[in-house]
This record gives sequence, C-alpha cells and structure tokens, in this order.
Amino acid sequence: MGFLNSTIAILRKDILLELRGKETLSLMVFLSLLLLVVFNFAFDIDRENVSALAPGILWVIFAFAGILGMGRTSMAEKDDEAYLGIIFSPASIESFYLSKVLSNLLFLVVMEGVTLVFFAVLFDFEEILMAVPDLLLPLLAGTAGFSIVGTLFSFLSTASRFGEVLLPFIYLPVVVPILLGGVSSMDIVLNGEEGQGYGKWLQLLIVFDLLYLSVSLMLFRYLIEE
Amino acid sequence: MNYIQLRGVRKEYHGNLALAGIDLTVRAGEVMAVFGPNGAGKTTLMKTMAGITSPTEGKIVYFGDSSRDDVRKEIFFLGHKNSLYNGLTVLENISFFYRLFSGDRNGDALRRVMKEQGLWERRNDPVRELSQGTKRRLAITRGLLTDCKVYILDEPFTGLDVKWRGSMISRIKGLKGDGKAVVIATHLVEEGFDLADVIAFLHRGRLLFVREKRETTVEEINRLFDMYGERVP
Repeated sequence: MGFLNSTIAILRKDILLELRGKETLSLMVFLSLLLLVVFNFAFDIDRENVSALAPGILWVIFAFAGILGMGRTSMAEKDDEAYLGIIFSPASIESFYLSKVLSNLLFLVVMEGVTLVFFAVLFDFEEILMAVPDLLLPLLAGTAGFSIVGTLFSFLSTASRFGEVLLPFIYLPVVVPILLGGVSSMDIVLNGEEGQGYGKWLQLLIVFDLLYLSVSLMLFRYLIEE
Repeated sequence: MNYIQLRGVRKEYHGNLALAGIDLTVRAGEVMAVFGPNGAGKTTLMKTMAGITSPTEGKIVYFGDSSRDDVRKEIFFLGHKNSLYNGLTVLENISFFYRLFSGDRNGDALRRVMKEQGLWERRNDPVRELSQGTKRRLAITRGLLTDCKVYILDEPFTGLDVKWRGSMISRIKGLKGDGKAVVIATHLVEEGFDLADVIAFLHRGRLLFVREKRETTVEEINRLFDMYGERVP
C-alpha cells in the first residue's frame, strides 16, 4: 500500500473513531466554551476593546483546547497498544505520523470554527466571522503548526506516567512562534491597516511549520520505540 | 533461511538486567516456543526480536541482511495487549488493518477468515464489549490475514477456551507449513511443546537452553518451571 493510501486509511480510521466515540471534539469544544466564559468574566470586554482582545483570547483558547484534544488522540493509539498494529504493517512510520497530524488538524479546525461562532455571539462581534476569509490562511498555518508539534509531543507524553501533566510544559514553549504569528496576523486582519505586516507573519508561520515538520518526521520514529 | 538472528543481545532497563547475552536464531518454516517463569524476560525478548525495544548491546540481523532495519512490515507482533481500537466494531478494526496490508477493505479472504474464526456474526459489535478471549481471537485473526514472514506471539492463547485454542494451534501449524517462522512465548507447556520445532527456556534473562524438540521433553520443561518459579501469569 502506498504512502498516500495508508495515510488516508489511518486518517479515515481516526475520523471513524471520533464519530463513534465523540470524545475528542466534544472535550475540546467544551473546554473552549468554558474558557470563553472565563475570559468574559476576567476581562471587561465590550464593543470598544473586543477586536483588540480577540486575537489573544482566541489563540490561547486554541492552544489549550488543542493540547487536550491531541492528548486524547494519542491516548487512543496507546490504549491497548493499538498503534503497534500500524507500526507492524506496510504503512510507514512517516505516513502514520502525517495521518495523525492531519486528523488532529481536522479536529482543531472544527473546534476553532465553533469557538469563532460562539465568540461572535457571546461578545456581539460578528465582524470576526466576516473576516474569516482573510483569517483563513494564518489560522490554517498556525493550526497546522499546533498539530505538527502537538502530535509529536502528545506521543512523547504518553510514554511517561506524568505525561498529561507534562504535555503543556513541553508543548507551549515550543509553539510560542506559532502563537506569536497567529495572534499578530489576526490582530492585523481585525485592527491593522490592510496588508501591514500580514505577509511577514504568514511567512513566519509557514517557515516554522516546515521546520517543525522536518524535525518531527525525523524524531517520531524514536518516540515509538521503548 | 535464517529470518532473525540475535547475537549477544543484552537489554537493561534503568540498570536492571532483562536479557543477558542472548544468541538465538529463528528460521523459516519453524516454530520456536519460548518458556520461562514470570519475570524471565520473555516479553522483553519478544519485543527486542520484533524491534520495538532496542538492545543495550548486541546485534539483531533480519532476513540475513545486517543492513536492513525497515523490517516491521514483514513481522506480525502480538504482545500482551491486543492492539485493537476498542471504540470501533469488530469489522471496522479488521477491515482497517486488512486494508493497510492489502489495500482492500472487503476482500473475500477477510470474510472467509472471520467466518472460520467465528467473528463474522459479531462483526458489528464494538470491540470494547467483547470478552477477553474474543478480543484475543480477533487480534490473532488480524495476523492471519497478513502475509508476514515472521509471527511473534506473546502469550497468544490468553483467554481462549479449549475450542478456539485448538483452532489457533492448527492455524499456527498452517503458517509453519507455508514457510513462515513463528515464535511463541507461552506458559502452556503442552500446547507450546505440541506446536514447537525448537524449544527455548529463559530464566532471569539468560537462555538455559535452546534445543530441538526431540532433545527435550514436556516433563523436563515442567521440572524447570517447578525449579525456577510459577508458570501462571
């Protein structure tokens, strides 16, 4: 079976597993809504400051809800050592890793979409939905970065007894450039002059995505060996 | 042909010795039964042989080619756990793995083997609702659908009743007939002895012996279990 076909087969299995269990997405969406409510109480958000606060609030929510979801998808592989069935198959380890990145990316994008809608409703800020076409590229590039790093680290964390506790500590410092690029590009779209620095931040996101992907593809093989 | 050769394989976990200088050869068309009391290092040996665990010292040569390291697609490994997705149904699990090997989801072979193993009637049951024995049967059936050269099975009969144990034994004999190599770690001396061409006995990470079946007896293996410890996991 070729690289593409095995990647699609594993991705399809992950989607099926999520459709059956509904564990990952529901947890991510629940946490994101909970954080929205917390931020609503923590800051005095109104029509005046909502566009300035939105990028920071949203990307922090994406990062934390994302960690939770990616931890769950890795646990599904470690549970009953199911991943060994894939490792001992014609599917390459790289296609296994990429399929997990894609499934995490898909779940993250769904969670982000729901969060954006709730954000718009909760803070009466429908402009953010209007800006989605402009936000799409940096949002996808940033989310891909989260998924690339998160997939690697969530597998790493499942090898440790304190993995779930450790995951945010090892994951968040590494995704700082992604957070920076995501927040800045969203800020430019919502508040800045048209085109002002937007391309620079998008480039930064893409460069870090490629860098993280190259390193993760090399390291993932070692994570699944004891 | 030598499928797997272990040369002076030593494995330590945080300073604790799990395997001490193991030399072992697994040949095509041969079943090797590995016996040993609890804690003897059978599972570590199986994982090391399969390439899941790297040896601390020593070398493993696969299929006579020391430069090969991408050999996992030619090995079926079944550990203590069943490597199944508990959230999926029986058919979804087996179709997924079958597809990885054959590129097909609904092959005749899949349906035939599932029917033979009594799993077809339960195809729509979620795996998490199956008994331990049925899960084990499903896990082994997954292996029967592959065309691997080597089958490494750690306690494959756990949870299986007499009927299905007998069925699995005859299927494993069939694998041997097809020129596959099979390595089984088991506490079931009679079943393991019946299947095996080569017997190995492990104690505290050391091989006490590796012999042709004709050079040992069930009584001798039972005596070793009595000397060195419990056989029931």
